[in-house]
Amino acid sequence: MFFLISPRQKFQLLTGSLMRKFHCVLWSLLFYWCPASAQTQQVSGKILDGKDKSPLSGVTVNARGTRAAVVSGPDGSFSLPVSPKATALHFSCIGYDDQDITLSAGNQNEPLTVLLSSSQKALNEVMVVGYGKAAKRDITGSMSRLDARAVENYPAPSFESAIQGKAPGVVIQSGSGKLGQAIQVNIRGISSLSASSQPLYVVDGLPVTTTSLSDGLNEPTNPLTDINPNDIESIDILKDASAAAIYGARAANGVVLITTKKGKNSRKTLFELNTSTGISNPARTRHFLDAGQYLALARQASATDGAYDFNNDISGFPSVDSAVKWYWANDYLPAYDNFALGTDWQNAAVNTDWQGMSFHRNAASHQINLSASGGNDKTRFFISGFYNKQDAIVINNSFTRYGGRFNIDHNATDRLVFGVNLAVDRSQLNKVTNDNEFSTPGQLVAELPFAPAIDPSTGLPNPNPLYPSGIYDALYDFDHQTTYRTLGNAYANLTILPTLSFRSEVGADILSLNEFLFRGKESQDGAGVGKGQTVTAQSTSINTNNYFTYTPRIADDHRLNAVIGMSYLQNDRSQTNAQGQNYPSDAIKNLSGATNITSASTVGDRYTFLSYFLRANYSYKNRYLLTASIRTDGSSRFSSDHRYGWFPAASAGWIISEEAFMKHSPVSLLKLRASIGLTGNSEIGENQFQSLYSVTNYPNLPGFAPQQLASNRLRWERTAQADIGLEFGLWKNRVTGEVDYYHKHTTDLLLQTSIPATTGYYQFLPASTTIYENLGKMNNAGFEISVASQNLTGEFKWTTSLTLGYNKNRVGDLHGQVVTTGDGLQRAVEGQPIGSWYMQKFLGVDPANGDALYADANGKPTDDYTGQAALFTVGKYAPDYTAGLTNTVSFKGFDLSVFFYAVTGNKLFNSAGKYMSDGFANSNYDNQTTDMLNAWKTPGQKTDVPRAGLSITPDGYSFATGGGTSTRWLYDGKYIRLKNLTAGYSLPRATATALKLSSIRVYIMATNLLTWTKYPSDPEVSTLFNGTGLPSGSTSGGVDFYTIPQPRTFTLGLNVKF
Amino acid sequence: MKLRIYILFFLALTIACNKNLNTIPQNSLTADQIKTAGDVEALLFGAYSQLQSAGAFGESFILTPDLLASDSQVVFVGTFQDYQAVQHKTIKADNIIPQNAWGVGYSIINLCNTIIDKINLVGPADRPTIEGEALFLRGTTYLQLVGLFAKPWSDGNAAANLGLPLVLKPTYSYDSSAAGKPARATVRQTYAQIVADLTGAAAMLPASNNDFRADAYCAHAMLSRAYLNMGRYADAASQADTVIGSKNFSLTSYDKTFNTDGNSTEDIFAIQQNTQSNAGTANNGLTTFYSPYETGGRGDAQVSPLYAGVFDDANDLRMAFVSPGSSNSGFTGDYTDKWAKFFKAIPVIRLSEMYLTRGEACLRSGTPPGADPLKDINTVRQRAGAAPLTVVGIGDFIEERFRELAFEGDRLPTLRRIRADIAGLDYDNDKLVLPIPRTEIQANRNLVQNPGYN
Repeated sequence: MFFLISPRQKFQLLTGSLMRKFHCVLWSLLFYWCPASAQTQQVSGKILDGKDKSPLSGVTVNARGTRAAVVSGPDGSFSLPVSPKATALHFSCIGYDDQDITLSAGNQNEPLTVLLSSSQKALNEVMVVGYGKAAKRDITGSMSRLDARAVENYPAPSFESAIQGKAPGVVIQSGSGKLGQAIQVNIRGISSLSASSQPLYVVDGLPVTTTSLSDGLNEPTNPLTDINPNDIESIDILKDASAAAIYGARAANGVVLITTKKGKNSRKTLFELNTSTGISNPARTRHFLDAGQYLALARQASATDGAYDFNNDISGFPSVDSAVKWYWANDYLPAYDNFALGTDWQNAAVNTDWQGMSFHRNAASHQINLSASGGNDKTRFFISGFYNKQDAIVINNSFTRYGGRFNIDHNATDRLVFGVNLAVDRSQLNKVTNDNEFSTPGQLVAELPFAPAIDPSTGLPNPNPLYPSGIYDALYDFDHQTTYRTLGNAYANLTILPTLSFRSEVGADILSLNEFLFRGKESQDGAGVGKGQTVTAQSTSINTNNYFTYTPRIADDHRLNAVIGMSYLQNDRSQTNAQGQNYPSDAIKNLSGATNITSASTVGDRYTFLSYFLRANYSYKNRYLLTASIRTDGSSRFSSDHRYGWFPAASAGWIISEEAFMKHSPVSLLKLRASIGLTGNSEIGENQFQSLYSVTNYPNLPGFAPQQLASNRLRWERTAQADIGLEFGLWKNRVTGEVDYYHKHTTDLLLQTSIPATTGYYQFLPASTTIYENLGKMNNAGFEISVASQNLTGEFKWTTSLTLGYNKNRVGDLHGQVVTTGDGLQRAVEGQPIGSWYMQKFLGVDPANGDALYADANGKPTDDYTGQAALFTVGKYAPDYTAGLTNTVSFKGFDLSVFFYAVTGNKLFNSAGKYMSDGFANSNYDNQTTDMLNAWKTPGQKTDVPRAGLSITPDGYSFATGGGTSTRWLYDGKYIRLKNLTAGYSLPRATATALKLSSIRVYIMATNLLTWTKYPSDPEVSTLFNGTGLPSGSTSGGVDFYTIPQPRTFTLGLNVKF
Repeated sequence: MKLRIYILFFLALTIACNKNLNTIPQNSLTADQIKTAGDVEALLFGAYSQLQSAGAFGESFILTPDLLASDSQVVFVGTFQDYQAVQHKTIKADNIIPQNAWGVGYSIINLCNTIIDKINLVGPADRPTIEGEALFLRGTTYLQLVGLFAKPWSDGNAAANLGLPLVLKPTYSYDSSAAGKPARATVRQTYAQIVADLTGAAAMLPASNNDFRADAYCAHAMLSRAYLNMGRYADAASQADTVIGSKNFSLTSYDKTFNTDGNSTEDIFAIQQNTQSNAGTANNGLTTFYSPYETGGRGDAQVSPLYAGVFDDANDLRMAFVSPGSSNSGFTGDYTDKWAKFFKAIPVIRLSEMYLTRGEACLRSGTPPGADPLKDINTVRQRAGAAPLTVVGIGDFIEERFRELAFEGDRLPTLRRIRADIAGLDYDNDKLVLPIPRTEIQANRNLVQNPGYN
């Protein structure tokens, strides 16, 4: 079977095609069949892979000197009519070196066997771009590609954790060691303030839902956990405007294109089994006082309290001793008596490791994946099934998922290919409460170390802990979130003319979530009555993409590829939330057991996007490249007057190494590229351009109240980006690399600006009166470097790859607006980076009396926190540099990979420091971190820990010091982490064959094995709930509030192919 | 040509999708959907709902003045730093408490302005009631806010001291010009508006109303508070007398006065709550703070050990109206029973206050219109099981207020109007005035911050 083109064909053919094996198959169907003319001679043959001799389909064959061309069929065969004018046949295919075979009388009548060797030009790999594919060498935009190996078998529920540090310029922050929580991904900095700064995710052409649908009072969960990382073939990250602008309106934060595995034309069906099991423990924890240390600190505190009171004649005690006695007997002793549960606390009879109780020792994880793939000329398939179950390092948090994927492609006729990609899964996430709740296990650290965790008289948890004990909640409460997700799309690709094809895709992303929370009567959150809540949410996205691809043949040196099309996306979301309380017994947990339904509501939203796009790629002599694209998007998020936005982009590339003067240099690849373009952002939720009233439910009097005041002039936020990049390869690509510099300039920020509350549109939570306006600017500039080197080849292989990203963010003109987080500690202010810390500067301790000293407006020390201490901008939460370094060695069957990740330039704030490291100053009895043992004790003592003590006088006032929010709890956030260490052994091929397997590999993997940091706990934390209770968008980050550290995981795995 | 078919398909799809770009909000109303008498009434009910918010009578209008005047009544032992700061008078301009009170207060005011603006949509029969309620709610809100955000009338500079921005027109769209950024009126101008609103309300409102909505006596009672603050004793007495004289309200036993479903017999105006509509059960609401951990609250606001000292009769039921318990940060102490239960009515103004106001005001104005101050105070005392007094002075009325109206937000205005020291500070000390929220100062350059804040 073959396809061929007559020279008389009116439309011209694409030459020097862009595609690799699989892709070629698809494209081969674009070519139109018609009979050969009689005067020519037929040349036929077979094209094979030079290495494994497998047939190569989709190889473009053209006769030099004529316009005749043909593409090899699925079995590698080709046949084309060659006129006497033709001198040679030219074979080309993506991923392989081009080859010429001179035509002579001798070989014209014989069937040819052509062996193509894999391209040494490493960067010839095919990358997925928006609405198509392209060879890396032809791409003029900035992209990063990660293949399946980067995400396979990583011990985390979703793939983002696995690619941390692997793609320069992509900063990934997983927030905490809780499973299934939302992960922050920032591509080239944060370019928006109030609108989302997260990228668009597209799976096999279908934009997928990434918005959390779960209970809004807990941390958002991550819908990407429904994509099985082992099904992923590749991840292409579109970073600059040229690459991303084809996704126009939604691309300002970059685009992540995920391609799932597809079947290949193979002689036999390939089976692959992956299974692993692992254990996890916290990577780093804080050090807290034990019972003896705590009581010593409390005694010391009463002593310094008494001395301070007496020395300053506050309460008129007759002597220091009497003052100390009074403070101990009144401020400390009664509480301790109350909480010790009758134990001999004065002698620290009980010593409870509360922090240890918040963790699940050696949390287990198991996963198994089985896939089969294969196919023939007509049909190719990939089927997989998976199951995994994972316990978090924190108690009561686990994740279970199972599901399957079915991808099929079928050549119905020579001109029509269609296929389906379908994945279904069910996942269950058992969650703990957010970091701001007393019931979260993270807050157990605050409990008193001399108080028993279990009441010895009953065997039940301590009924009278200092704070509502998370242990109760762990015993009696649960929060189960079950998600069903169907992600599927179908496509048909029709070759209308040899140069023109039409592709239509229809996809659906159906997400159904059911969350059930139960709070037993015995727990604090159950408040003695028992509470239940159910959240049922559906999100349905329907997407269709329809586009023409036109690839005319102009002349040998000119290539053109154009795409024109449209896309429509409609998302409907609904959520039902019902809460009840007053359960007669814990035995019935459903809401039917609640005798009092306290609230029930249903809400719904729809958004739509209608888009048109046009893109053209032109190349001359394979070395001068030009790309231009334009897209227009209309969205329901803007009023009809401001609905459409235009997003153009242009880029150019020059492959210098193709020039004659470079032919004999050690530089095997040198490509210079530059791009400029515009992308948009509209991720502000629905109906923001309308003034709205919401329903109120005062008893018996249903009413309306103002909900939001709006600007109906609201329009797209726009990010202009310029990028210049250099790609290089040295010594036959032993060393390859890429360097990019970019500048992003966002204007018309969709900014939630503060307006006077006297307008009457105040929102209680978060406390603010705001309106969305297109106001302000934001700049991001930075560079990215990636270098890969094959240090040793041969039997002992050693490769090194390095990625480095630097980003500098500056908030531009905000018309005087200051955007702050709820607690006011982080701000976006003109001229400073987003999320700058803003607080009092802690300068140390007055050696004379142990008072905390702060900087006043002139930077001079003062002990007057409320009056004189001034507020300063003191760093930011986003890092300057992020870097990843991977070394891989292999010898015979052994392989070893070591990956380090580092960030620098960021500051972390321990928001819980005001309770766990305040030396009781905020009138609290919380257990303290061990550094509090250095609290000031005697006059003249030099220390950086202020005097400890509740310091509550007989009059009920406190002279405690050091408790106010300040840089006392702000830390340098830089760290280096041995993120991943993997050692594997593959059985020799002979052994595998003897076992009737094609390969077998066992490995051990350790993640977060070692960490170097100045932060006293795990540096990879960022709570989504800070002290004020609600997430605050991109302005907030780098806050630790009893946040669960990252896990250190050891995994043992097995990979078998047969 | 087949190509035409594809192009036609492509265009048809495009046209079909274009109209889907108009989506309709499914959970809220747009402003132009408010157009009937029922809609205006719904706005009024929305205002009542805002009044229940923790930024208003649900918490802030009552707890905040008590924390400010907290030397011998309330002790805040919780961990919320913003509340501690109010008790310790170390408030900063970004404190959440003034922000909520200011924000919710002006939400109520805007709703009332909207109702008054759209009053013509209401038929003539219902019009005076609805407009009267709007005026009552606006006047009441201004009265609460001026008490928190401005110097007291009693310091003698009402004509110069800054009061509140007087917003009397509704906001339908945002005006970023100076007109949308009102400056503060003086304390005198603010009180003039309060008196005008409440007087208007008293004239329009019916003698009784449904569903515990405001009636004319609510307006008279609130007016008596305003006059008392202004030192217009004869007017205060006469307003209180009107309320008492109506015989619409009657004193009941002290324990039946609080934690009721619906108004008690002596509630002149109260906020209603139920399980689905309340001021908060976790981080906000009077019960959350005043009820101990054992009964589901946070237990942050304890009764001061000094509070018992204000009682002169060991049999006084009001002294025993407390229960022991502990806070959720571990402090044990006593808790008032006034706010013990969630989801109950919140008395805003009670009949016993009218007796105390009438008695004191008559005594002060010296022109008692056939009234008897001694009888008034003893009416209140005897109901609570305290022995009747034989002679009465101004001081007795003040102390009786501390016994009768403790934890109901009365202590601060009372101490200020008699110019007594508060927690060791002068009655008109800057620290006893809340800051205008920092966000408000930033958003409205025409506002002047209160002295002592930045």
